[in-house]
Amino acid sequence: MAPVLPGQRQWYFEDVEMGVPLETPGITVTEAHITLFAGVTGQGRDRDPDAVPDLLPLCLSSGLGWRVPQPPLVVLAFMGLEWQYLKPLRVGDTIRSRSRIVAKRPMKEGGVVIEERSIVNQDGESVQSGRLTLLVARRPVP
Amino acid sequence: MSAQEALYFEDIPLGEEYTAPGRTVTEADIVLFAGLSGDYNVLHTDAEHMKSSQFGERIAHGLLGLSIQQGLLGRVMPAWMNPLLAGLKWKFRGPIRIGDTIRVQARITGKKDASKLQWGIVSVERKVLNQRGEVVQEGETEHMVERRPA
Repeated sequence: MAPVLPGQRQWYFEDVEMGVPLETPGITVTEAHITLFAGVTGQGRDRDPDAVPDLLPLCLSSGLGWRVPQPPLVVLAFMGLEWQYLKPLRVGDTIRSRSRIVAKRPMKEGGVVIEERSIVNQDGESVQSGRLTLLVARRPVP
Repeated sequence: MSAQEALYFEDIPLGEEYTAPGRTVTEADIVLFAGLSGDYNVLHTDAEHMKSSQFGERIAHGLLGLSIQQGLLGRVMPAWMNPLLAGLKWKFRGPIRIGDTIRVQARITGKKDASKLQWGIVSVERKVLNQRGEVVQEGETEHMVERRPA
């Protein structure tokens, strides 16, 4: 599958540049995010009402990745994840995501890209980090 | 074992298995998760576009499946498993389609010392299966668990 979307520039496997740092805008984690996340995932609330669920920042970072000037990568599948939790987050903290591509390998259909991502808080401290493995489409032949 | 029961590192039985109840992943779950995360990738949001894809319809965000399995296991495992705190290794093996029912199998596969003396690290191996018994996601999580006070 090589999705072609009208009216939008996109980044294909061939366009991926290794090592170029990318930083997203920030998002403040609110009580509302935690309530919605608890509702959709069915996770019980922590006894500490200001504690941010461990998986929520990663989910928010996937949306932050769309808010950068670069055209979006045509991701065909999210293949894997290795992730570390370095510091807990609290309601009111503001996170952003810093990332770069550290490896790319062509496959029969598309190519595999490994992204190193770090979620940082308002003080610039890394709170979660790890590597994502993505299957990315090749540029369609016109 | 009740999920509310306070357990220390020493009490956690290596090899213990847990099976979480199933949950049908709906269109509403995917729409809510797109809104919450801000990830509006066409894979999850554009039904017309996805008709021509290999999946034939919208699929759930991988991270939605990961988050739902954490919620499902939270219903059968003790409270120590809720904060992940240490780490996560995860493979997304196949799509979760709208209407698929997923369930989770988990097993405690490791216990080791943490760098802080009053804590230990517990590893949990997890498999997310669909209604046909196919593994759609699997991996391992690591949890910091308090030791029994001396």
